[in-house]
Amino acid sequence: MIISHITLKNWRNFQSADVNLRNRVFIVGPTASGKSNFLDVFRFLWDIAKPGGSLQKAICDRGGVPEIRSLTSHGSPNVEIEVSITETDTNETLWRYAIGITQSDYDNPYLTHERVWKKHKQILNRPDDNDIKDKLRLTQTHLEQVGLNQPFRDISEFFNSIWYLQLIPQLIRYPAAFSGPSIPDDPCGQNFLERVSKTPEKTRKLRLKKIEEALHIAVPQLKHLTDTKDESSTPHLEAIYEHWKQKGARQREDQFSDGTLRLIGLFWALLDEDSLLLLEEPELSLNIEIISKLPALIHRLHRQKGQVILSTHSADLLLDKGISGEEVLLLSPGPDGTVVRVASSIREIRALLEGGLSIADAVLLPETVPQDIHDLGAS
Amino acid sequence: MSSSTSIIVVFEDDLSKAVLKKILPDKYTYIWRSGRGFGYIKKNINEYNRTAKTVPVLVLTDLDRRECAPTLIEVWLPFHRHNPKLLFRVAVREVESWVLADRDRFARSLGIKGTSIQVKVDEIDDPKEYLINLARRSNKRELREAIVPGKGSEADHGPDYNGYLTQFIREYWDIQEAICNSPSLKRVIKAVENFQPEQ
Repeated sequence: MIISHITLKNWRNFQSADVNLRNRVFIVGPTASGKSNFLDVFRFLWDIAKPGGSLQKAICDRGGVPEIRSLTSHGSPNVEIEVSITETDTNETLWRYAIGITQSDYDNPYLTHERVWKKHKQILNRPDDNDIKDKLRLTQTHLEQVGLNQPFRDISEFFNSIWYLQLIPQLIRYPAAFSGPSIPDDPCGQNFLERVSKTPEKTRKLRLKKIEEALHIAVPQLKHLTDTKDESSTPHLEAIYEHWKQKGARQREDQFSDGTLRLIGLFWALLDEDSLLLLEEPELSLNIEIISKLPALIHRLHRQKGQVILSTHSADLLLDKGISGEEVLLLSPGPDGTVVRVASSIREIRALLEGGLSIADAVLLPETVPQDIHDLGAS
Repeated sequence: MSSSTSIIVVFEDDLSKAVLKKILPDKYTYIWRSGRGFGYIKKNINEYNRTAKTVPVLVLTDLDRRECAPTLIEVWLPFHRHNPKLLFRVAVREVESWVLADRDRFARSLGIKGTSIQVKVDEIDDPKEYLINLARRSNKRELREAIVPGKGSEADHGPDYNGYLTQFIREYWDIQEAICNSPSLKRVIKAVENFQPEQ
């Protein structure tokens, strides 16, 4: 399943947004145009639906509704999110889920509506009679309550598959060196090695083998990638690094390069089945050779099973002519907040793509660089 | 993208973009593309021509070492294959000649005599080298260091060459004056004026 359509109102930078999404989504736009805020909508849905998650916590962790609400919205309108969930094989829309949230000065945030459609039939429409009798009920979604979400459990489970990843190699390498509470849900990979070691052996071995094959493009010297444990049962990754010594040297993750570690983490996540994977600038610390192959690798490793939504600043990544304009969301900041458009919906960009140019040539300049960056001599 | 007609402008570098920004008429909306140099435009010229089937595209490149503009165009993309919405123009020899063509102002900015710059700027064989050599004679140290490559450096130009020249173009460069000394610039401006992208 994938999220095939999203509508936003007053979400952070976006006064409104209404776009279709494909299996792969490439979000491009200048710095501070709201790429992370766009990804955060999906994290927000996950924060509600995950085990132990709730609407109140999801909002509280973000600093309350006033922080989530678009700065360009006038007065105190509601924040609204609506998504359509489609079966990938049949292209049929199975579900639609919509919520509206607001918060008055001294109250907890509460729902202005929560609606669910199964195919075309609406099966939930809140506020209902019970909500009107007891307004406190509107501080919780039905989505987050196992006792109430049974008729649309699929949505809850799907949102629970959302995985946000922004791997920081140093955290993977030295998880124990960073004391204090770990970042909730581990987006940076501090517990990545533990995650690998807890995966059932058969799946784990198969994935590491696939990762080794995919890694071959970037680090051909790296062979026999396996997992292991040291005397104190701490999990590690290990590989043979072939060099001038005939037999090659055995290396552990603390000796892998930043790029190698990020790739291993990224490939692992891509191989995770049926997930909606959110990636923030996956190109960081990777060499050009591998960056240019990422779009194809994402397709190959994630197959048709799941969805990958990523933000990027990399022209090398977007040079891949296998990326269609329908897969690219272009974020353009303006006086009324950031506008989100599917790249192929813009006539000139479509003409450049039809002319045979890549997304990097058709989209990247100048929409994704501040208007006068050339004048600043910063290009 | 906007209610006025949009033209995709394919330019070589910061310098040509700065010049184009000054010479293009206000009545259109411009979508700037490339900025990745001579070779890049050459490689993609067919793609830009195909784009011009549906939307207007203006391509400006430098002549560099080739004999004349029509030859370059014929080699890259023969005239008979140009789509009607494509305007493909060549600067003789480099955009730098057009900058030099406003002789008085440019010389003044360097703190040298206006007569130091030859009148027929289009005939300068290597305008960039010519410009850098002029800058060597400037008594303004900061400017010299920006434009001229350091001693023993194999760099093509100084560390802030583009920054200095684009600032000059933006703030001081006078088109009318430059047209008088550069027939090549005059031809390009005329071609842009006669370009009818709506058709």
